[in-house]
Amino acid sequence: MPKPFTSPVEDSVPKVDEKIAVGENLEFQRKWWRFERVIWSVFLVILVCDVLGLFGRGWLSKAKLVSDDGELTLNYERMERSDTPSIMTLHFSEQAIHDGRVKIFVGRTILGPLGAQRISPQPVVSAIGEGGITYTFAATEAPAVVQIALKPSFPGPHKFTMRMEDGRPVEGSVFVFP
Amino acid sequence: MAIFVIFRAVFGYLFLVLMVRIVGRRPGKQLTPFEFVLIFYLGGLTLTGMVGDEASLTNAVTQILTVALCHYVLASLRYRFDVVAQVLDGTPLILLEHNEWRTDTMSRMRITDDDVMDMAREHKIKDLKGIDAAVLEAFGEITVVARKDDSK
Repeated sequence: MPKPFTSPVEDSVPKVDEKIAVGENLEFQRKWWRFERVIWSVFLVILVCDVLGLFGRGWLSKAKLVSDDGELTLNYERMERSDTPSIMTLHFSEQAIHDGRVKIFVGRTILGPLGAQRISPQPVVSAIGEGGITYTFAATEAPAVVQIALKPSFPGPHKFTMRMEDGRPVEGSVFVFP
Repeated sequence: MAIFVIFRAVFGYLFLVLMVRIVGRRPGKQLTPFEFVLIFYLGGLTLTGMVGDEASLTNAVTQILTVALCHYVLASLRYRFDVVAQVLDGTPLILLEHNEWRTDTMSRMRITDDDVMDMAREHKIKDLKGIDAAVLEAFGEITVVARKDDSK
C-alpha cells in the first residue's frame, strides 16, 4: 500500500506573547479597515446617485427633445435599466396634425435594442421601410400624445431616431444599464 | 444572449462574496436570526438580477456551473496565495493580551467585553482576570485561552 505524502509540522504561525499561535496580521487588517471606510462611502454615493436617477428611473435620467419645427416633443429616460419597463412619450403640436392624421417614423433602435413593447393608442397604419416603422395616427387637435412602452434588453449606449412626416430627424441617445 | 447569463452569474457571485465579507463578520458560532435575514435577503435579491426573465433549466444549469467554477477558482487562489485568503476570510485578531484590551480592534470590529466574557463563561472562566488571551477568529468565533492558574 503506497505511503501518504507527509511533511513535518513547523511552527510557522506567529505567536502571542510567545505562547499562543494566532497568525494575526494587523497590518493587513488596518488596510482592510481603510478599504471598508472607503467602500461604505462608495456605497453611499452609489445609493445617492441611484435616488437622483443617474442609473435610470429618476430625476437625472429624465430627458426632453424638441424637433426644430416644434412639431414633436419627446419625453424619455436617457438612462434605462435592462429588462425594466419605461414609457417614451411623444407630444404632437397643432402643426403636426395634417388632415386629421399624424405620421411619424420610428427608427430601428427603439424597436430593437430599446425593446418597444406596445404603442398607445394603436396606429391606424403601420408601414415598414427605411429600417424602421412609419406610424400613422388618427388625430383631432393638439395636445395629442402617443406613448411607447419600452423594455430594453441590450445593455450599453444606443442612439435612436424619430422623424415627423417631411420633417428633420430628432436624434437622441439612451444608455441601458445591465 | 448566453454570454450575459454567464456574466451575470460571475458578477452575482463575486458581488455577494464581497458584500458578505464586508457586512458579515460578527462574533458567534452560529448565524443569528439577524444574519439569517441578511444572507437570505442578499441571496434572494441577487437571484432576481441573475435570472431575469430567463427561467429555463439551461439557464439555471449554466449559472450553477459558472458559480461552481468561480468558487473553485477562488478556493484555489485562496489556497495558493495568503493575500487572497486574507482578503476572503480576514485574519484572526487579538482582542485581549497581557491583561490589556486591544481597544482599537474591539471598537472597529464592534465587539464588547461582554462578548468576550460570554465566550469565557463557556470555558468555565469566572472573570476577565482568568483570561490569558482572547482572539476573534477569521470565521467569527471568539476563542478564549484560560490563564493556567485560574482555569481550574
